[in-house]
Amino acid sequence: MISHAFLMILLAVAPIPAESAHRDATEIVRDAVNHWRGLSSDSVMTMVIHRADWERSMTMRAWTKGDDRTLVRVLEPRKDRGNGTLTDDENMWTYSPKVNRVIKIPSSMMGQSWMGSDFSNKDVARMDDIIDQYDHTILGVEEVDGVTVYEIQSVPHEDAAVVWGREVLRISEDHVVLTHKFYDQDDELVKMLTSLEIGEMGGRVIAQRQRMGKVDAPDEWTEIKVVTVDYEVELQDSLFTLSNLRNPRD
Amino acid sequence: MHRLAILFRLAWRNLWRNHRRTLIMLMAVVLGTWAMIFMTALMRGMVTDVVKDGISALPGHVQAHHPDYRDDPSVANLIAVSDAELAARFSAAGFVKWATRVRVPAVITSEYDSRGVTLLGVDPMYERDLTFVDYDEVTGRFLQSADDSGIVIGAKLAETLNTEVGKRIVLMSQNPDNDIADRGFRVIGLFKANIRAFEENYVFAGKITVQKMLGIGDQVSELVVLADDYRNVEAEYNKTVELIDGGGEVKRWFELDPYLGSMLGVMDGFVLVWIIVIFLALSFGLVNTLVMAVFERVREIGLMLALGMRPMNILGQIVVESSLLLAIGLAIGTALSWASVQPIKDGIDISIVSEGLDMWGMSSVLYPELLLSDVILANVVVLLLGFLASLSPAWRAAHYEPIEAITKV
Repeated sequence: MISHAFLMILLAVAPIPAESAHRDATEIVRDAVNHWRGLSSDSVMTMVIHRADWERSMTMRAWTKGDDRTLVRVLEPRKDRGNGTLTDDENMWTYSPKVNRVIKIPSSMMGQSWMGSDFSNKDVARMDDIIDQYDHTILGVEEVDGVTVYEIQSVPHEDAAVVWGREVLRISEDHVVLTHKFYDQDDELVKMLTSLEIGEMGGRVIAQRQRMGKVDAPDEWTEIKVVTVDYEVELQDSLFTLSNLRNPRD
Repeated sequence: MHRLAILFRLAWRNLWRNHRRTLIMLMAVVLGTWAMIFMTALMRGMVTDVVKDGISALPGHVQAHHPDYRDDPSVANLIAVSDAELAARFSAAGFVKWATRVRVPAVITSEYDSRGVTLLGVDPMYERDLTFVDYDEVTGRFLQSADDSGIVIGAKLAETLNTEVGKRIVLMSQNPDNDIADRGFRVIGLFKANIRAFEENYVFAGKITVQKMLGIGDQVSELVVLADDYRNVEAEYNKTVELIDGGGEVKRWFELDPYLGSMLGVMDGFVLVWIIVIFLALSFGLVNTLVMAVFERVREIGLMLALGMRPMNILGQIVVESSLLLAIGLAIGTALSWASVQPIKDGIDISIVSEGLDMWGMSSVLYPELLLSDVILANVVVLLLGFLASLSPAWRAAHYEPIEAITKV
């Protein structure tokens, strides 16, 4: 986070190049992440996991606070009800009422799938890595339906814990991530996050339906649909604790 | 002395009186000796191969760890003495082949796959003499210093992960507080190993880089010392115990890998059993030959007895006869086995069955190992047991009644 502050100071004092009338790439990305999470949020979303021969959907409630605290709890289907995931900074815990145990996700499992979806545990726990572990540059600016869309290339730092060669994000001027493409180091597109529906919700324009899928497996994808969301809600710190993960008080 | 010379001459002549029988017996002894020594050399080669490969997986003949490290090789169990202090103590003590490493389990991830591996944080300068990786055989390059920011992985692992030299991968492990420690590394080299499993299981990064990533300051997981001969590591062991001074638990390789240790012990016993088994088969032929020789010469022995030769001398003559036979056979057999090891001493390619051998942790080239001690053992055992076996017919010959013997038809 220190690097954040540093960057902002740097941005404030750095002379802006004449041609760069647009906003700085890092700032655009950070705004998009902040816009999606808010200072705090309380949402209900549905996740659909689709495979060639089956599909399942689960509804869950998610709370976020600040950059690094998230609590997700499954509401539907009944058999999974109460399954929860808590993240705090880089740590992640899961709880399942069936076994009545809180399990800390070890580093060896961070790369694995979160709740059987196409998102990895790391995708969930470390969403804000995109801000400070990458170098961002603006590839292009275009006008789509009267909205300015920035195409931003994000290249991970040499020692960043990121396997991708580069990522390309398309972010609209109202801070909505339209697509997020992940390229491997041979510059082949591997997977892609697409916003399928964009609309106003909780007082903001957000991506209401997003789909994550691998390019070489078109009939395997995970869709997240936001059902309701409230931003800037008052959330107790006690919500994001292990004891609350185990014994919900809400 | 004179009597012995006569005995010797008589024995020598008797030996060649029925030269066909002697030659056949000689052939049996030669073949037996050859089989004993040659097969032992092959077995030795095989065992040494397994043991050496096993040690190269450790690697290091004497190792020091935190007392709990062997049960739980995690980053929490580090040697209590700092790396700098260890370096000062061990280089001052005149050790040549030694190194310290950070050795922790980790997960390596590429764009396409992830695998569990053992991460070795090493100083390439010290590691050169110890590791199973040949620096010059590495595709790309090996690490250049302890704070090299690259990583060297096995060729097989690279294939699995679908990565190559020049690409980045991510390593994830844990810091001592059980929090995630991860970092991106650029692959700078791919190593090849005799054993495929090594290529999949080990990755090498700079020691200092790994220490930084794990947040463990100047501490290491293990200290390893290489002895000149893996069969004798006591001197190095004692010195290491003294130098580490309670900062960690010191073990010899056969304690670290009891399987390898007991295998070596079993092998030593097995060689003796092998030699004795071959000899047992051989001894029936030997005794038979000698008994026949005695039977054939009953009248002659009777005559010698009647002329005043002492029974002890008769016994001596037969024993000398068999000893001569064995000595000649052993000499030829030993020479033959040496000669047959010579052309293959650079290794026999047995890669046809390499997959099966790999499972046993063996490489596909077999180096026969002709040990002087095995040769001596085989020779001594054959001579000694041959001597004992020939006593029975000799005893019988010495105790004939001269009158009966002469008149025997």
